[in-house]
Amino acid sequence: MLEIAPQLASVVLQDAAPAIPPLSAAALGVGLAAFGAGYAERGIGSAAIGAVAEDEDLFVQGLIFTVLPETLVILALVAIFLVQ
Amino acid sequence: MSKSAGTSNPEYVNARVRSRRAGLYEEDDYRKLVRMSPAEIARFMEESPAYEEEINRLGSRFSGVDLIEYALNASLAEDFEDILHWCEGELYGHVARYLRKFDAWNVKTVLRGIYADTEREAVDDDLIRAGEFDGKLLDRLLDAGAIDEAVEMLSGTVFGDPLADALEDYESSGVLVPLENAVDRAYYELLRTDDLSGEALAEYREFLEAEIDFRNAINALRLARSGADLDPSEYFIEGGVLFTAAELSQLASNTDELVARIRESRYGDALSDALSELEGAESLIGFEHALEAALLEYADSLGLIHPLSVTPVVSYVLAKEREVDNIRAIARGKEAGLEPDEIEDELVIL
Repeated sequence: MLEIAPQLASVVLQDAAPAIPPLSAAALGVGLAAFGAGYAERGIGSAAIGAVAEDEDLFVQGLIFTVLPETLVILALVAIFLVQ
Repeated sequence: MSKSAGTSNPEYVNARVRSRRAGLYEEDDYRKLVRMSPAEIARFMEESPAYEEEINRLGSRFSGVDLIEYALNASLAEDFEDILHWCEGELYGHVARYLRKFDAWNVKTVLRGIYADTEREAVDDDLIRAGEFDGKLLDRLLDAGAIDEAVEMLSGTVFGDPLADALEDYESSGVLVPLENAVDRAYYELLRTDDLSGEALAEYREFLEAEIDFRNAINALRLARSGADLDPSEYFIEGGVLFTAAELSQLASNTDELVARIRESRYGDALSDALSELEGAESLIGFEHALEAALLEYADSLGLIHPLSVTPVVSYVLAKEREVDNIRAIARGKEAGLEPDEIEDELVIL
């Protein structure tokens, strides 16, 4: 039991190399943020289409609100620059 | 036409419905309308996008109050047809559940038409093509020559089985009442709220219960006022929470107790004005209008609590119905030569 303790410690403390290197983790984060943005846009987009179908003047407002969750992805991009 | 598969799309439907809701007439418009002649009302309606098409289409065939009446019906039907068309998934089921009252109306109209041997055209004009039935089924119903033929055609629908059961009664008694009751019961059976669960649907359920309670209260009051020797429990609609059938027949004979009962219930706050009016002026019409306004307000507030549910749609359906009723009341009142103030008393305005 005691013999394997150092190996266990090195795995737990990730002595050698982390399972996910920093840059990959940041990239994953951006991907997940994009996923969230996409989900948010699904609802807003369908509401915007509904509003535009009733009144075409609402096209610009609808477009703006639809792309608002896109800011999530832009903020997530900051993580890439932080780990580089 | 059933589209109950797939996910629901409340965002899309709510955006469209809210936009239409904003286009309905407001109090100021009604104030203008009660001072117009029928021809002017028709012209006023033509300026609104909701009625423009219908007025133009029917303008060559009808005039005056008839034009307004048919344009209102056509617009109502088209609007609700649109809403059903937009809905998908679970939402479709919830909206259709409420709009089936027009199916019930259409079935009854067709049956009465056949019973009274009315012209096909005349019955057609009275249909409100807003429910779940498609145009083809309604056309075939209109072509039906006998009651049992029509019942046969309805066999695939929700009214099929109850109607088939009632057909025997009809054939032995020769009056339409069993069939009409069967249609009504089938409709209210469908409104039953047992299967609605979840937070947003709990609100919808509360709303349906309120509607049934109000209808029960009005029925009881009407029976009490008319003095007819009828048992109110026969007209009792299951599904409400305020009364049971036995209580209702007891309360119908005693208006004061009925009012006290409603005042203590969960509708008490919303209805306090209406209840005082009922106690004070003893006017049943005023009370009915107050109940309708309270139901409308209730539906509106539900739509604010759960913006992405079926309640904003139901609130629009109610508001549109009230608008159609109001304009019809104005046009008919004008035709009958009523004063603007008298007509205004007949309107249900929030």
